[in-house]
Amino acid sequence: MESKIQILEKKIKDLLKKSIRRAITTIPEEISNFFERLYEEEDNEINQTQIRLILENFQYGKKVEIPLCQDTGILNFYIKLGNKFPIISSFRNIIDKVVQEATTDIPLRSNSVDPITNKNTETNIGLNSPPISIEIIDSSSDLEIIILPKGGGAENISKLFMLDPIDGLERFPLIIRELIQKAGGKPCPPIILGIGLGGDASNSMILAKKALLRPIGITHKRQDVAELELKIKNSLNELNIGIMGLGGKVTCIDVHIEVSMRHPASFPVGVIVQCYCHRIASFKINKEGELIYEA
Amino acid sequence: MRHNINLPTKVEDLLSLKIGDIVYLNGSIITARDLAHKRISNYIHEKKPLPHSFNKIKNTALYHCGPIIKKINEKYKIISAGPTTSARMNSVENDIIKFLDIHILIGKGGMKNLDEKNLKVIYLSYPGGCGAVASRMIKEVVHVEWLDLGSSEAVWFLRVEQFGPLIVAQDISGNSLYK
Repeated sequence: MESKIQILEKKIKDLLKKSIRRAITTIPEEISNFFERLYEEEDNEINQTQIRLILENFQYGKKVEIPLCQDTGILNFYIKLGNKFPIISSFRNIIDKVVQEATTDIPLRSNSVDPITNKNTETNIGLNSPPISIEIIDSSSDLEIIILPKGGGAENISKLFMLDPIDGLERFPLIIRELIQKAGGKPCPPIILGIGLGGDASNSMILAKKALLRPIGITHKRQDVAELELKIKNSLNELNIGIMGLGGKVTCIDVHIEVSMRHPASFPVGVIVQCYCHRIASFKINKEGELIYEA
Repeated sequence: MRHNINLPTKVEDLLSLKIGDIVYLNGSIITARDLAHKRISNYIHEKKPLPHSFNKIKNTALYHCGPIIKKINEKYKIISAGPTTSARMNSVENDIIKFLDIHILIGKGGMKNLDEKNLKVIYLSYPGGCGAVASRMIKEVVHVEWLDLGSSEAVWFLRVEQFGPLIVAQDISGNSLYK
């Protein structure tokens, strides 16, 4: 007989597999709505052509359940684990197994190359990969997992800036503008920007990526942070980079900032760039394994 | 303006293509990305002949793409195949297209230092992220070379039909849609 834990683990595996497929083959409604609105406003023929293809791709990928983009990315796993959720054997083993199966079944492109030997494991798993982040949630008996597939083109533009506290706050929006201007069409614009302000070097980058988990259109709770988000977004949309760098009104879909206390000597700014094809999926279960939501 | 081009094609047919024009391709194309570019560069420097299959690709098109491939009943099938960022190939592309005698590049994001005028090459942009619909226009995997690089880095010889819309982003006169 299977134990309660084994049944729970099986449930997690099934939901993970479904979520990876959903993340890879569908796009959040906010993104498709964004392009539908843009199509109405756009009078440039090149951009109309591109938007039509982008929307057609969203529909076709979902319909036949194939990856929207061939770059199925590095799958980033964010686990929010309630401190009262039953102890399971190993998240690493469960995720590795599911990722390996998804790579063959969906299929995913294998994006796991040894940096020394250049050998691709062809399984999407390997040393320290895929990345898993676990956060313990106090007074909770639920488990929530968010999957963020991160493609290489946009990730290559990501950067960490260690600014001087004396003028970091004034300078960082300008530095980000320069970064995005220089990147042009490379990160598949219109982009979504995750920014981690403060913390130390590694924490600002972690926050920047976490900022991408917040749904499009939702601003930071703190008014001063939300104002900065809007200011940077507007400044990027003056760049005329447009869809795929071919020119146009929209370069940035949204900017999300997360903040952490900084050291008096440091002003870290982590910037993670995300392509317009912002794929993400998540689910939440309770300790009985009952589904609370999936999206 | 909309153009249909059958591959292989004559360079003369590319002269009339202007930036902003829309192109649909029919016929043979090959994929090559980072490691394939590196390997072709090594062949050039070592003055080694490429595998025979490369003889047939003259005047076709080179697609910066690392596709998702599935083997079904011993036959390769393209599952998703949008473009990868072309700029990573900036440093070697002129030598490679000269060596391969190719005059059409397909990718995303554009290229720097491309010698459009002397090499008579055009750069076509296919919207990134649109890999699912691209797979519908790739009708056949004809051949594959260098699978040891991994399936996404190998050189795939493909037959495409009405492959597009491709936007002429850099034309033979050196005009560019990129800033």
